[in-house]
Amino acid sequence: MRYLLVDHITEYKPGEFIRGIKNVAMSEDFLEFHFPKNPIMPGVMLLEALTQLTGWLEAASSDFNNWFLVNKVIKSNFYGFAFPGDQVELTVELISSPQQGHPATIYRGSGFVKGKKKIVAEFEGEVIPLEDIEDSEEQKKFFKVLIRELSK
Amino acid sequence: MRFLYYDKIDSIEKGKSIIGAKTFTLSEEFFRRHFKKQALVPGVIYIEAMAQLLGWLIIYSHDFRLSAVMSLVEGASVMPKLRPGFRAEIHGEIISTSKRDSLGRAWITVDGKTAASMDRIIYSHVHKVNSEDLMNLFYYYSGIKV
Repeated sequence: MRYLLVDHITEYKPGEFIRGIKNVAMSEDFLEFHFPKNPIMPGVMLLEALTQLTGWLEAASSDFNNWFLVNKVIKSNFYGFAFPGDQVELTVELISSPQQGHPATIYRGSGFVKGKKKIVAEFEGEVIPLEDIEDSEEQKKFFKVLIRELSK
Repeated sequence: MRFLYYDKIDSIEKGKSIIGAKTFTLSEEFFRRHFKKQALVPGVIYIEAMAQLLGWLIIYSHDFRLSAVMSLVEGASVMPKLRPGFRAEIHGEIISTSKRDSLGRAWITVDGKTAASMDRIIYSHVHKVNSEDLMNLFYYYSGIKV
């Protein structure tokens, strides 16, 4: 399995928010173990989807110079379950930053399935140079795939 | 990919505490895209490792009559820049447990240093379980025969 927990980015505003989609498929490897006979999308994989979406927000806000790695989860609530076949609508917004006079950069993320809340999390992290971990140009091209701006 | 983030349980004390271990190797599936130039263990994986291990302590403490599903994580810290090739020692403690839910805390050490921790984790209990299946899984996953 490729460790990609965001299927589609539907909307974003640099430095402010980003929205995306994670489709839960029965073919996901983790559903075989989580749980045996009862496939349920693991809560931390929804959290991972939110942190990856934050990476895309940081990248799109910095002309693909930055990425984001989570290092603190202030609070993450998991409500009900997301099942195979569900489409999780994810949103991450920047709720405080040093630029706004707050000591830390904090993001709030949420995931909904058909209007029902599945996760709400507040977290912090490290913004790192994207070039340290990925090829920036390739990442930019993949972003275009996610926002469905297809290349010729 | 098998979604199991511990390799064995080293010690378990009913209603109290659990210690387990997980060795992170370069062959983990999540390194496909995390990332291309550096293999970094995703921070949320430590949270999953702590949650899975402590979950077993809860199930064990209730004699395999229920299962536990994470419903809240609070005050979690993780080191986001560890590359594979290390052994993580995972510790979990139950703060309180009832028929309905459990509260605990957990942490991970690598070479004696704290690599991850969470102040509070709450599990909701699921009572529709097959105790024998759970017991067999526990034996397979932990190496401990009940």
